[in-house]
This record gives sequence, C-alpha cells and structure tokens, in this order.
Amino acid sequence: MHVLLRRIGPSLIAGAALVSSSLAPGAAHIAAAQSYPSSIEVGINLPFTGADAADAANIRDGALMAIDEINNAGGIANQIKIVPLIKDDGTVAAGQYDPAQAATNTKEFVADQNVVAVVGPQMSGSGKAMSPIASAANLMLITPSSTNPDITDPQFASQYRPNGAAIYFRTVTTDAFQGPFMANFAAENLGLHNIYVLDDTGAYGEGIANSFEQQAMAKGINILGHDKLDPKESDYTSVLTKIAAMNPDGLYYGGVQQAGEKLAAEAKDLLPAGIPLMGGDGMYSVGFIADEPAAAEGWYATIAAPDTIDTPEAADWVARYQSKYNKAPQDYALTSYDAVLVINDTVSRLIKDGQPITRQNVRDYAAQTNLPTLQGVISFDDNGDLKDKIVSVFQVQDGQYHYIGAAPQS
Amino acid sequence: MNPQEAVVLQQLVNGLSLGMMYALLALGFTMVYGIIELINFAHFNVFMSGTFFGLWFLAFMGFNKTSRPLSGLNLVLVLLATFAVTMLVTGALGAIIERLCLKPMRGVSGTAPMITTIGVSLVLQALILFASNFANNVPYPGLVPPDRWAVLGTTVNVTLKNVLLWVSAIVLMFVLDAFVRRTWLGKAMRATAQDPEAARMMGIRIDVIILATFFIGSALAGAAALIFGLYYGLTSYIVGYLAGLRAFTAAVLGGIGNIPGAVLGGLVIGFVEALSGQFIGNAWSDAVIFSILIFVMVFKPNGLLGMQRPQRA
Repeated sequence: MHVLLRRIGPSLIAGAALVSSSLAPGAAHIAAAQSYPSSIEVGINLPFTGADAADAANIRDGALMAIDEINNAGGIANQIKIVPLIKDDGTVAAGQYDPAQAATNTKEFVADQNVVAVVGPQMSGSGKAMSPIASAANLMLITPSSTNPDITDPQFASQYRPNGAAIYFRTVTTDAFQGPFMANFAAENLGLHNIYVLDDTGAYGEGIANSFEQQAMAKGINILGHDKLDPKESDYTSVLTKIAAMNPDGLYYGGVQQAGEKLAAEAKDLLPAGIPLMGGDGMYSVGFIADEPAAAEGWYATIAAPDTIDTPEAADWVARYQSKYNKAPQDYALTSYDAVLVINDTVSRLIKDGQPITRQNVRDYAAQTNLPTLQGVISFDDNGDLKDKIVSVFQVQDGQYHYIGAAPQS
Repeated sequence: MNPQEAVVLQQLVNGLSLGMMYALLALGFTMVYGIIELINFAHFNVFMSGTFFGLWFLAFMGFNKTSRPLSGLNLVLVLLATFAVTMLVTGALGAIIERLCLKPMRGVSGTAPMITTIGVSLVLQALILFASNFANNVPYPGLVPPDRWAVLGTTVNVTLKNVLLWVSAIVLMFVLDAFVRRTWLGKAMRATAQDPEAARMMGIRIDVIILATFFIGSALAGAAALIFGLYYGLTSYIVGYLAGLRAFTAAVLGGIGNIPGAVLGGLVIGFVEALSGQFIGNAWSDAVIFSILIFVMVFKPNGLLGMQRPQRA
C-alpha cells in the first residue's frame, strides 16, 4: 500500500508535522526535517507508434518542457528533481493506440515504486484500460487530451475506479461538452439542417459522435444517418457515395486520425464541395494537415480546452516551446505542460505540509488543486474533471488551424 | 432514373473499381496455388510493400503530396514508368522471397511453407514500417486530375481515376491471359500446373517456372498496389491485411488455382463490399463478405469456377 514507505521518515515526525501544520503556519521548517527523495519519477504514456504519433510527440514535448523548466529551476520546491519515464502505448499491430499495451504500461508504472503520477494517455480507448489498474494502485493519471466522459462518470465508477476516489484527472474538459457544444456551433453558427454522422468505432469516436448526435437532434438538426467506419479499412467510397446521395449540408466525424485522414482524402472527391466537414479533437492534429494538406482544407475541428496558444499571455510560452523544439506547439502541448504543473504544485503542497510523497497523498492533494495557469485556473470536481468547460472551434485555412471561437454552451 | 437507382449504380461503379483491384491481387494467390499448392500469405504484404515502392519511385521523380495533377501525355508517361518500375521491383521482391524462403522448403510436406509465408509477411510489414520512418497514412501525390463525367445524362459519375483503374487492370489481365496461353513460358507454366512430374520429364525446369510464377503474381500485386495508392491518395503499412484477406477470399470464391475464377471472385467481392456499404454499413463489410464466402463454399466447395491444382500421380 505505502509504496514509498522506505523513503518516508519516521511516522512520528510526519505526525508531528501534521499537528504543527494545523497549529501554526510556520510548518515549513519542520517539513524540511522530512527526508525527501532527491528525485521522483513521472510516467508519460502516449502512442508514439502509429497514426497519432505526431500529436503524441507534441504532447510529450509539452510535458518534457515543463519538467526541464522545473528541474532547471532547482526541482520541485527547490529539492526534488522530476525524472520522466516515457512509454509508448501505440503498437504496430493496432496501427494506433492499443488499449492492451496501455494496460501493460500502466502495470509497469505501478510496479516501479518511484513513479508517483502519470501524464497521459492521449486516447480515451487507452484511458479505459488504464484507469482501473491505476485506481487499484492509487496512482494518479492526468490526461492532457483524453476526453471520453465515461471514464470519470460516477455512473461507471465500479468499472473505471473500483477504489472509489477520482484517479483520472484531466486538464481538458470532456466529450460530454465537446460533442454537444459543436452541435450547438453547427446549428447556431453554421446554420446546418441535415447532418450525417460517422464514427471510427473507438471509445472516443463513438462517445463524441453519439453526444454530438443527441444535442444536434435537440437543436432541431435532422440526422440523416450514423455509420461506423472500420479504421483498418481503406475504402470509404461506398459509405461516402451513400452519404452524397442524401444531400447532407454537413458531416460530423467522431474519431481519431487513422480513419479520419482516409475519410478526408476520399470525401474531397465524393462529397459535394463546400459542405462543412466537422470533427472533434481527433481531427485537431499536426499530422492531419501534414499528411493531407489538400483534403484537410476547410475541415472544422474542436479542442476540449480554451485556445490558449493564440493569446498574448501565452506568447512567451509559445516562443520558449518553439526555440526548444523548433516547431510550433498545439494547444494539447500546453494542457500537457499544465498537467506537469499540476503534479509540481501537488508535490510542492505535500512538502509544504510536511507530508510524505506517497501515491495516496499525491492523489489526495491533486484533487484539491487550485492552480492558475495560462489556460485558466485548474481545479477538479469530485470525479477529476476540469471545472472549466470550454470548447474551442478551429477551421483549417491555408494549411493552418485557424481559431474561429469558443463553441456556444447552449 | 430515380435517385435510389442512381446511387445503386454509383455503388456498382465503386464496386467495379474495388473488384478490379482485388482481382489483380487475387491472381497472385491463385497462380502460386495452381503451381505448388501453397497459400502464399506473404502476398498480403508484398502488395503493401508495392504501394511504398510506387510512392518512393514517384518521390524519386520529384512528385510529392503537394504536386499538382498532370494531364495528357505527361500523365500517361509518368504512369507508365511508375507502373513498370513498381511492377518490376515488387515482382523481384516476390521472386526473392521464393528463392530465399520457400525454395529451401520445397518437398517439405505439411504446413511449414505456409507458416513461413506468414512469417515473411510480418517481417515485410516491420521492414516497411522502419523504412517509412514509422509513418502512418502516408500521402500519395495527387497526379490524376479529378475529372469526372456523368454517365448517359444521369447523376452517376465516373471519374478519371475509375477509368484509368479499369483500363490498366483490363490491359494487365489480357496480357496475362495471352502470356499464359501463347508464350513458351506460359505453356510451361500450365504444363507444370497440370502435372509437375510429367512437365519435368518433358524438360521443363520446374524451379524456373515457380520463380517466374512468383515474379508475375507479385508484379500484378505491384500494379494493384500502385492503383490502390493513386485511387485512395494514401497508403499505410497496415493496408496489406484487409486487402490481402479479401483478395485471398476472392481467389477461394472463384476457385483457387483458377485464373478466370480469381477475376470473377474479385469482382464479386468488390460489388458485395460496395453494396454492403450502401445498405448495411462499412463496419459490417467483412461479415457480409465472409458470410457469402461460406454460403458459396457450402454449395460449391470448389468455388464458382472450380478449383484447379496440380494432379498427383
């Protein structure tokens, strides 16, 4: 249970620290008496193999930049360095994220006693596999991009967090908002009436497509149909021919890139030009525009976070990222950076309170986070979800994601 | 024509294109089976490798994802050159696989050679993944202009891509047919397929024939691969599996070992896939295709046109 037991000072001291911290504000000098390790490990689990590799690298770099900056400034609370432990949950066989690999990686993180928290996963399909394992070990996960709402929904708590307490924290909001807010955008801003819905059969894709569809119907949009795409399939011409014959004025695709890029490439030829093609954050991706510059043009995509990197406040951060990696960041690099800041803040508060750095304590303190960051104040509800619910809409214009605005909340 | 009929007709256009591609790929399975009774699973990823050979040759000639479409003579010349190189290289890959991995196993009975081909297939996939720097969904240059014509004044469209695909597939099939019927090598191939022992006694060098069969079958897979890349506008190291599985099914459906059967089986599966996408759903295509396979096999166990394999003395 106490995985870091050997690193903890005598429990008497911890007890004394607790008492004194509740008595007096000057607990810091007692805390210093705690013997803390000189470093802790933070796991990073992202799909570096397969369709989403480019975004995985972008997200990893955001986290690593935060880790480097913290370490260069002396470490957490000027004493503990963060050592990243990077694992790949993409596999050749899956061609994208692989939930089975994600489960294996999580077990390895759990077995490594120095890992106090994990940044990731990128994909909800992996998250569903990781969350129960992490819950059993009390190892907090903090995802910068996975948005499927089921994982944190108390209704499914027995499935995804058998231990009860929130274990799957996010620095983005969920598809319970991302899909529906985009439906609002389709109805209010684009004025669409007849939409066809597709998904890629993944946990994320099905979830966001269904939530989009429900809200679209509530908004009076006529849903012409909802089909599932096999992501390993190469040929979507027959489903696109079927859709084109129904004369839709919009298409919504819930899913990630493996099917999405092929869909976009074939839709360019088969769907009438000019009808809005929309996706979620699965289609907000550096790889999408790089792979299919012509087909990506005009696509709408959302992210489950405010568009921070285009704000003047983030200009300095963007410049630091650019000079470090020689490429432009995307918003999920920032949410990943913020995920590390949450861990940093959590451990700092533990040290300030003189508490030992156990997985249990890290989780408990993370749940109390109230941290101002570039994307806004990060604080979590009882399920680990971000209290801020902002969904940003982008459109690909001239080979760039161009920020359109925040999607309407109703 | 009402819209309902038009969309079905449009699906048949899609299905014909798919079917031609499967047919080219199925020929490789069926020719190899006809000669040495081996199901060559390496063919899946020989095809996949072919998509990359075509892509790399196009890149070598300076075409990339931002290239503008070509027209007229330019388009024809570039396509002819790319077809030639892709088919040659892919054919050579097939021949190398035969020489290195299968020839030493000649005479080994049981499933060992077939399992070997599965292994070769997986190795090829890993090699291409390395060679393409772990990329997924690699874009093809959009060389073919997006021209399209309405058929007979209806809403049914035929694109230039469709036409090029059909023309090249039909030309290749006729060339193969003429080759097998009329040339010395083709006749030797048929003789070997009928009775390898007797063929050997007539002075036919069986090893050369087998090597040639692998080369030709793989070259056709190379042609199918290039068509695939140009038609869909991208490729990936995973495309071999589904396309190969369906082409293999096509070969079995038509009667494995039977060359016209492979073409017929390919077309049937292409049409079934397109129509099931229209009426049932993309994610269920495989279920429909394999149900039909089982149904046909129950009533015609040798396939639609009858199985052909080497006779045993």
